[in-house]
Amino acid sequence: MRLDSSRSLLIRLLMLAVLVLVPPMGLASFMALDRFEQGMNPELDRKAAAVGRDLVVQVERAVAYGIPVEKLVGVDEFFAQVLSGNPEIRYLGITGTDGTILFLRGALGGQLADHYREQAGSLSDKDGATLQIGDFVDLALPVKGRSGLVGSVHVGFDQGYISSRLFSIFYDIAVVLGASLIVAFEILLFVVVFNVSGPMKLVAEVIGQGRKGDFSHMPGIRADDEVGHFARVFNASMRKVDSAYRGLMAYIDEVRTGHFDRGAAERAGDIADRVKFLFRFDASGAPGFLREKLSSDVRLPLFLFVFAEEISRSFLPLFAQSLPRRMTLLTPELMIALPIAVFMAGIALGSLWGGAVTERLGSRRVFQIGLVPAVLGCLMSGLSQSVIELSLWRGITGLGYALVTVACQGYISKATNDGNRATGLGSYVGAVLSAALCGTAIGGVMADRIGFAPSFFVSAGLVVVSGLLLGYLLEKVPTSPDLPPAAEGDPKGLSRIFLNWRFTVLVLFAAIPAKIALTGYFFFLVPLVLWGTEHTLPEIARIMVLYPLVMLVVSYYATRFADQWGWRVGQIAVGGILGGVGILLAALFDGTWPLMLGIVFLGAAHGMSASPQLALIPDICWVECQHYGRTQVLALLRTLERIGSVVGPLLAAVFWPLWGAEGAIVAIGSVVLGMAAVFAMLAGRYGDGPHLESEEGAQ
Amino acid sequence: MNRRGFLGLASALALWTLPAAADPVQKPFRIYMALWRGWEDAAQGFKDYFTNQNIPVELIIRDAGQDRSKLPEFVAEAKQLGVDLVFTWGTTVTVDMLGTYDKVDPAKHITDIPAVFAIVSQPDGAKVVPDLSSSRRNIAGTSYLVPMETQVNLLQSYRPVRRLGMVYNPLEKNSLVAADELRALGRRDGFELVVAPVDVVDGKPVVASIAPKVAGLKQAGVDFLYIPPDTFLNVNRDILTGAALAEKIPSFAAAENPVLFSKAMFGGVYRYYTVGQLTAYKAEQILVHRKAPADLPIEPPKRLSIIINMPVVRALEIYPPMGLLGLAEVVDTPEEPRQ
Repeated sequence: MRLDSSRSLLIRLLMLAVLVLVPPMGLASFMALDRFEQGMNPELDRKAAAVGRDLVVQVERAVAYGIPVEKLVGVDEFFAQVLSGNPEIRYLGITGTDGTILFLRGALGGQLADHYREQAGSLSDKDGATLQIGDFVDLALPVKGRSGLVGSVHVGFDQGYISSRLFSIFYDIAVVLGASLIVAFEILLFVVVFNVSGPMKLVAEVIGQGRKGDFSHMPGIRADDEVGHFARVFNASMRKVDSAYRGLMAYIDEVRTGHFDRGAAERAGDIADRVKFLFRFDASGAPGFLREKLSSDVRLPLFLFVFAEEISRSFLPLFAQSLPRRMTLLTPELMIALPIAVFMAGIALGSLWGGAVTERLGSRRVFQIGLVPAVLGCLMSGLSQSVIELSLWRGITGLGYALVTVACQGYISKATNDGNRATGLGSYVGAVLSAALCGTAIGGVMADRIGFAPSFFVSAGLVVVSGLLLGYLLEKVPTSPDLPPAAEGDPKGLSRIFLNWRFTVLVLFAAIPAKIALTGYFFFLVPLVLWGTEHTLPEIARIMVLYPLVMLVVSYYATRFADQWGWRVGQIAVGGILGGVGILLAALFDGTWPLMLGIVFLGAAHGMSASPQLALIPDICWVECQHYGRTQVLALLRTLERIGSVVGPLLAAVFWPLWGAEGAIVAIGSVVLGMAAVFAMLAGRYGDGPHLESEEGAQ
Repeated sequence: MNRRGFLGLASALALWTLPAAADPVQKPFRIYMALWRGWEDAAQGFKDYFTNQNIPVELIIRDAGQDRSKLPEFVAEAKQLGVDLVFTWGTTVTVDMLGTYDKVDPAKHITDIPAVFAIVSQPDGAKVVPDLSSSRRNIAGTSYLVPMETQVNLLQSYRPVRRLGMVYNPLEKNSLVAADELRALGRRDGFELVVAPVDVVDGKPVVASIAPKVAGLKQAGVDFLYIPPDTFLNVNRDILTGAALAEKIPSFAAAENPVLFSKAMFGGVYRYYTVGQLTAYKAEQILVHRKAPADLPIEPPKRLSIIINMPVVRALEIYPPMGLLGLAEVVDTPEEPRQ
């Protein structure tokens, strides 16, 4: 099924969805924000007053014990604690009766001193006074001792705080809106393809066959809508043609057997032969139903499934960090890395096993089997009470994830032929990436609102929905038993492939470091570092969304570029180096921007090099592909690169306690860059084309 | 049937034991209380717990008045009376009446009657129990000292110390243990411990040597005085804390009396009253709930009391940090003139 054939319809539908969804949501959000802003100001005032009153009570208590206000001890630490608990409060201070600043934390004294001196005289008997100082709003509350006023406590908050909060809420809404648009698009795509363009294509196919004289099939469409009505009318016509044919043939038979004139009988026989030659009708007595597997059938369930799995992307290490670590054998960092590593190991095992099992049981069964560990894993991850438990359930989830994705890939590759397989797999990658985009973004917002564990339960629910949907779909589109696996050569002795240095170099210095960068840096270090620098969960998710976003865009163009120019090795080399440089960049400069830049680089790097890696295989392993089968060689590459997925977080966790967070980023970046550099150097000697003498000679 | 009877019935049902405890005319439990320096808060807390829980007890109270020679008589008397439980107060009473876990003599010590101890500074160090999880014999008890590390952290949170002084009675084992622990923590936190044992003449510590020892510490440049949970110093707390105040040395006490009733500046303690209640709870487990004493761990109360003696603070003008003040119980005399 080519997406392109219904593209204009889809684009129109998408625009409709945007028109229907965005204005009301935008309007509602705008009004909510307005209300929020109105409510926020007095709320802040109240909060400042409450904090100020509490401070005054404590200071007055100390003063009542005979501690002179200017000699209070530990005020700075005391203020620091209050400030860290109340991010909206910008600074806290205590001034003497004459307005001199005795203690101040969170702002520079120079900015405030003059204002305080001016205010000093007027404050004496009031309950408090508010003063606008630049961007700050300053609330001054009097501190009274035995003999009257001894000074005042100042609580300052930032006007900018409200707008920054508003901005962050606005972002959350935009993320949710964007993700809902993608979900809406996926559902529209599904509805259109499944109900309209898919059946139309089938009808077109049947008509096309009819034009060639083949009337043996009718479109197998069952629906109660207009399309179904059309199909029934169409099929009635087909049956009419079929019965007309049979009537004709019966008549000819009658003529042939019953006619006394030999010449006429022969003539009738000739006509019958001629008709049979020109037109083909089903031999069984009625036209059969034509049904076709469409690669797009699994797109929506796959999208929902990956969406569910990606929800925990931005917070899994943080969740692990929050759980008690009972085992002290490993460092805390390794314990945090464990769930990611075990998840990756689960995927590796699952894909190894899933590939073999799909051939035997068919994609539908494997999909259903995979759902069990996937649902169970998500559910139990949320209920986990320790890191070990969480790791175990993540591993099981990984197993399910692998089975489901392998099943979907298998389904797509069965539903496509060599001509449209690339488009089919492109649709698969598109679904996975857009699901990653939505899942990561929504996951952060969700975890922030409802917590880590409930987010896992939502994941489990989505996986169930995806399973139900697929069950329904595959029931509606009865699948012919999967074809026996194409004789693709003998996988025995596949390990000899490592003698092909080009393959070994590709695995060791391109595929593995790419995965190390992904899991070690992006999955593990990025959330932890962002969390450590006091970013909220939605912020972390918004930053992490950059990766699939950039990758989606870059891979779209990179694939075309690679096909056009055939510069695959170069793309892999440049991609590897770009990724390494990006990660190092994040550590060279302070702040969030370099980290975001690193993620953008990484997304670009992987978008650029992922598909050329696979596309390069037939070129550099031409002999092995012939000998063992291309699928086997590709599967081997995918399995081997998962070593990098498992190693990545563990490696980062080993680096962390040695050199700190930034050091770990530098170390991972250096490893990735170093390996990419080795690849770039060796790849220069790859030569071009499949006609490589060494392999030819080995035959 | 009184409430005691209900309790007994309930516990009997819960434990599936014989209905002896359900006897409606339950006699009060007879508890032999062996004290070291008279009736004080721990003993009061012990007694009040039974009153509050409506557990009838008959207390047989004996005070040794810090005379060790009276303790063998107590052992004999408790055995002769056939009491249900023995309560021992302090390390000396406990060790002499109950023996150490490696040296128990049924002739000299109480063995068959269950016992609970309180106000033993180092139950394991003094060999009353092999470790704090279980006595492995017929006794249970509580500890009352705040772990030394907590004490030092608390002291440091008031004011970082570089040179910590300690006056102590060299005849008391607790103080020696405390000095060793302080030295180890000093190596960790970077302070030096300067010790000044009081003079001992004829096997008795000399009261008159306390003030000169404090003066000597001042000369040695200590910036904080640590007052160990030492019986001799507790008795002479006014002299010790008075000397420290005169020398303008802030003082930290490991027990409550020097802060509550004398002139130590502050302390981090488990209140004796609370310790007494916890000890009574252990006794209840043994008498009412029929638990084996060896099954009860030796533990301190949960809540730490930080006590700040405000008149001393004002006199020294060394003020507590705001954070600490917020957590502390403050001892203050309203008559004290304020600035």
